[in-house]
Amino acid sequence: MGVEYSIMKKTLIERIDVDSSGESNVVFSSISQEYDGLLLICSVRNDSTNLTFDIHPNGSSADRTRTTIQGSGAAATAATGTDITPLQDSSAYTANTFASTSVFIPNYTGSQTKGFSIESVTENDATTSYQRLQAGLWSNANAITSLELSTASLFAEHSSFTLYGVSAGSDGSTSVA
Amino acid sequence: MTDAWTPLAELTLTTSESDVVFSSIGGSYRDLVVVTNIDGSAQTELFIRFNGDTGSYVSLRLQGAGGTAAANTHSGNGMRLVGNGDIKTDFTFNSVIHIFDYASTSVHKHVLSRTNSSQGLDLCTGRWVNTSAITSVTLYPATGTFETGSTFQLWGLNTA
Repeated sequence: MGVEYSIMKKTLIERIDVDSSGESNVVFSSISQEYDGLLLICSVRNDSTNLTFDIHPNGSSADRTRTTIQGSGAAATAATGTDITPLQDSSAYTANTFASTSVFIPNYTGSQTKGFSIESVTENDATTSYQRLQAGLWSNANAITSLELSTASLFAEHSSFTLYGVSAGSDGSTSVA
Repeated sequence: MTDAWTPLAELTLTTSESDVVFSSIGGSYRDLVVVTNIDGSAQTELFIRFNGDTGSYVSLRLQGAGGTAAANTHSGNGMRLVGNGDIKTDFTFNSVIHIFDYASTSVHKHVLSRTNSSQGLDLCTGRWVNTSAITSVTLYPATGTFETGSTFQLWGLNTA
């Protein structure tokens, strides 16, 4: 489904590339409220052995929960938690590889709980590499106006984060009721 | 590729509804995609039908709920896209439903859906055992209604 998201009709909001100095967090701020959804595409590696990074809607660590299904190359597991955590490649993983992630956030401007539909995979030339489906929730009535992405160490050079706005609409002939 | 998806219709409910129907769908696209954000009147399952048909549908589901992963199948007169309890009453239910080759009159229609809620997450594959071209799509909860504020969007996907 990540591939489908990648070709969805969308408007580029901003792309952030990490340079050689690394970044401990990346922030998309002043996000326009004109779209029907947000799509975040990430290519991520970090300078330590951490395998996840954190998403903080509006910079907040509160009100977050998630359910995860994950494969490790050898086993499947499920888990819950109080954060929103896509995968990132470890510094111990094959050189020049990056984890790939899509995060879809429909109805980000509403007052209802915001859902984060996450598909994320690491890349490693070994048996152990991870594939993750995650349902993240931010149980907060505020519209999302910023997204902070943080890691415990540093995002590595060449990591990239691209945010799109997704727009729905009508073709004038199809009806819905 | 930025215009590969064409928006066809969208609806935000202003009253509760027992179903939502996309109709008069043209056949000029390769695939269809439905995107929803739903508040339900009850904790229940989501189903989909095509052309109003109550014939044969089958689906296979992989679910994560709490710390448990599960898989199961379903067959009936509508296609089950999520398992018991995955529509919630808290506006947390989101879905992206991809309907492949919908205009074909030669193949059964295949569906891949990804759904999330505070109940958990599901990855479903389904098949409408019918070769008719799809001209309408109906979404309905197993019980209760879709509540005010729920949103439904339909897209046509071009591949050329």
